[in-house]
Amino acid sequence: MRRGSIASLLGIGIVSGGIAAAVALAIPWLPVSASKEAGRIDFVFWFVVTICIVIFAIVSAAILYSVVVFRAAPDDDSDGPPIHGHTGLEIAWTIVPTILVTAIGIVSAIVLSQDDAIAKNAMNVNVTAQQFEWTFSYPEAHNLTSATLMLPRGRETVLHMQSRDVIHAFFVPEFRENEDIVPGLTTTLNVTPTRDGTYPVICNELCGLGHSTMRSTVTVMEPAAFDKWLKGQSKAVTSPSAATAGAAVFKNNGCAACHTLTAAKATGKVGPDLDKLPAEAQQAKQPLASFVRTSITDPNAYIQPGFPKNVMPQTFGKAIPKQQLDALVTYLINSSK
Amino acid sequence: MTAATLDPHEHHLTPSVRRGPVRRLLLGPGFIRAGWMFCLFGAIGFGLVVGFRWWGGWQPLFDMTPITLVSLLVAGPLGFLAGIGAFDYWTRYAIGSPTRPEDHSGHGARTWHDYFRVNTDHKVIGVQYLVTTIFFFIAGGFLAMLVRVQLARPGNHFFDPQTYNGLFSVHASLMIFLFVIPAFAGLANFVVPLMLGAPDMAFPRLNALSFWLLPIAGIMMLSSFLVPGGAFACGWTGYAPLCSTHQPLGAIFFNQGVQWAGASSIMTALNFLVTIITMRAPGLTFWRLPLLVWANFTTSLLVVIATPFIAGSQFFSMFDHVMHTAFFDPNNGGYPLGYQHIFWFYSHPAVYIMMLPGFGIMSEVISVFSRKPIFGYRLMALSLMAIVVLGFSVWAHHMFTSGMSSWLRVPMMVTTLLIAVPTGIKIFSWIATMWEGKLHFNTPMLFALGFLSMFVIGGLSGVMLGAVPIDIHVTDTYFIVAHLHYVLFGGSVFTIFAGIYYWFPKMTGRMYDERLGKLHFWLTFVGFNLTFFPMHLLGTEGMPRRVADYAPKFADLNMFISLASFGLGASVLVFLYNMITSWKNGPIAPANPWRALTLEWQVSSPPPIFNFDEIPQVVGSPYEYGVPGAQHAILAPSPTHAVEEVAAP
Repeated sequence: MRRGSIASLLGIGIVSGGIAAAVALAIPWLPVSASKEAGRIDFVFWFVVTICIVIFAIVSAAILYSVVVFRAAPDDDSDGPPIHGHTGLEIAWTIVPTILVTAIGIVSAIVLSQDDAIAKNAMNVNVTAQQFEWTFSYPEAHNLTSATLMLPRGRETVLHMQSRDVIHAFFVPEFRENEDIVPGLTTTLNVTPTRDGTYPVICNELCGLGHSTMRSTVTVMEPAAFDKWLKGQSKAVTSPSAATAGAAVFKNNGCAACHTLTAAKATGKVGPDLDKLPAEAQQAKQPLASFVRTSITDPNAYIQPGFPKNVMPQTFGKAIPKQQLDALVTYLINSSK
Repeated sequence: MTAATLDPHEHHLTPSVRRGPVRRLLLGPGFIRAGWMFCLFGAIGFGLVVGFRWWGGWQPLFDMTPITLVSLLVAGPLGFLAGIGAFDYWTRYAIGSPTRPEDHSGHGARTWHDYFRVNTDHKVIGVQYLVTTIFFFIAGGFLAMLVRVQLARPGNHFFDPQTYNGLFSVHASLMIFLFVIPAFAGLANFVVPLMLGAPDMAFPRLNALSFWLLPIAGIMMLSSFLVPGGAFACGWTGYAPLCSTHQPLGAIFFNQGVQWAGASSIMTALNFLVTIITMRAPGLTFWRLPLLVWANFTTSLLVVIATPFIAGSQFFSMFDHVMHTAFFDPNNGGYPLGYQHIFWFYSHPAVYIMMLPGFGIMSEVISVFSRKPIFGYRLMALSLMAIVVLGFSVWAHHMFTSGMSSWLRVPMMVTTLLIAVPTGIKIFSWIATMWEGKLHFNTPMLFALGFLSMFVIGGLSGVMLGAVPIDIHVTDTYFIVAHLHYVLFGGSVFTIFAGIYYWFPKMTGRMYDERLGKLHFWLTFVGFNLTFFPMHLLGTEGMPRRVADYAPKFADLNMFISLASFGLGASVLVFLYNMITSWKNGPIAPANPWRALTLEWQVSSPPPIFNFDEIPQVVGSPYEYGVPGAQHAILAPSPTHAVEEVAAP
């Protein structure tokens, strides 16, 4: 009887562990891994999942076995044997889980310290989050800004992240990386991309009404292609042709997220329609050129009727270099005519 | 002056009451007086704010934010409490009117009307708690259904963003502050004094006040949908500065609602502590206490120590909103992470506040329906204490990616992982309690087994989240939503159902319908797993929580979850139908239908108005099933006889 019960208990344990393992292995639980850090995090993930499957198998085997074997007959009013405890067993199920969680803790701490280490040749990128858009800038490339993140493959990147209003979070599932961006602090995140492709950048901390739309993308590319992109962008924004430079500045600063401008194929509806700039300047009783410039550097100076105050960030005046601002103003004036 | 020298009629009827039915209706404690006193106090609050603003020359004179706060959210509710009669005895005592400590006019329920007034009987208060919390459970569940409507397909626009964010924020707040925490308080209110062999709680009037704070908090949170600008929409965590400076007026309805619910919670916990320490029957030592009493003792410790922290966090947040202080406003020197530290210093222990009473219910139900003593009783009690102590050292595991000092992550991870050990001890001990027992699968036992299996999954995903590298990937995704529902629904809600079915005969004097109870269990169990298990996958794949829209690749799973959740919602209707019809027409319950040994089953169902005719003498453990001749307590014979005398007016 005793040997038989151990055998059937083992049987149920193997079956339920097998089902759990099949669920774990057959379903693609994690998105593709696109960074060095992701590889290590996935290792911790599967290490812990394995321990969890074993424990789940033991517990569910014991529960199922009890339910089937110890079910009382409907008319059985007798009591079970008065077992009050078993010191050895109680010590065992205190010690074994302690060892297991200690192992998990050690593995996690090692991975954490590896992921936190910063390589010497790391590239820096500044990330600015605000309701509800992302701006990325490259301090080692004259603070070139971009509305999407471009990264070279194989080189560690340190993101220095700041928020202009509330708490946001930078989350790229394919990188397995996530960190809050807290107003008043600069938080950092290390990423070493290992796989070319374009992945979503998700704001992962509830930041207000547009939270679900606060998305951008990160594109990982060959280092050579990245250098080419960087050069091309620097060239575009400093191009003597105001049309080229202005269009690049418009794109890189994410203006299209909120504004409509036919020339840039922008269709945003949050802010005023930039195709109608001349008419709006007339309403504001200002000359067009200074109206456009002021509206970028000090957006609260004049608010177009029907739009709320304090929505457009008031930091573009500082963030955009003068030369690029000039190009942007010229571009907007020419495009809106 | 002694009580005996006074005519009893002097004291449970106020002087005004004797002057005729109209005055009695208007001036006697009750809903009518509560109504006009709410208006009166609200008007006084309004006058105070406007008066001060006029005196100080502040413009605009009628600023809706402070007026709403003072008049509607503070003064009005105080007026309601005064009107309903929660302060009557203390007021009379304070102004020197004659009072009688042994005034029992407000004690016990003789008709259903007695459930709708300030009542000092812990059994009535327990039922008041449970009915109220089930109301808010249904309201919160309805909000969750609306969330699932929005999420059924990507690109849905049933609700505008403010309303949608309000839906999940109010859903969580109601479920936590108005259902799980107070539902356990309600069950314990009914059961704990009985288990102790006590006639009532230590402070019955405080107990009544604790209950009446609750509907105030719930209505406040629900009514924030009616406020111009919309409901509070920053999640139940109310992170600053989003909630403190970037939200419409509705946010302070949350701030204040939490204060009322928190005050109720603290007062109840103090009451439990004093009751459990001082009112145990002779012979009922701590090592003879039923584990439900242990669970509520430890829970009350958590509540008393931790709840003032959430009160602090909500006061600061509300000050930032209303008075433009800058506790959490970084532009003026505030520190947003400060909010999170204070908030989680309560809200992590709150997870155990929502878990430990359930552990207590589990121990009662599993032992009784396995017909065996609890396995490892002392270790079970000690592991509760271990959870209390460790529970205060893990709060920052909610903040691994918050930008806090990175060194803090590893120690918080270690304590978080360690807390799995006492929790594991409990699970293993329950299984060992069932081992070789005589298992009876009545509805309470089914819910207990459902809890056991679901809570293991929730606990294991909790261990995964405790490991910082995994948490970095899945934090704030649907993995968290899955985990917290496995713990709070698969855990707390299943134990609440187990407790309600288990003590239903004792509370109502009638049996519930066993077939409907089992149907309810299976619908809940299946619906729950179909709804929440796929959320693990959504989370690891990278779908963030608290979003109104999502990437098209998540569409199929979300549609599946939404459909399953409607089924889960419908299962509650079976529960309601069973409760209502059984309460009205169910078969009369015997005193001890489960053949349990704890004291509440040794008196009639429902128990006599003061529980025990004579204080019982406890002589042994409450779990001695299978031990020949073992007794938990010796009670005076013929319990029904003396009851009539007490009940007579």
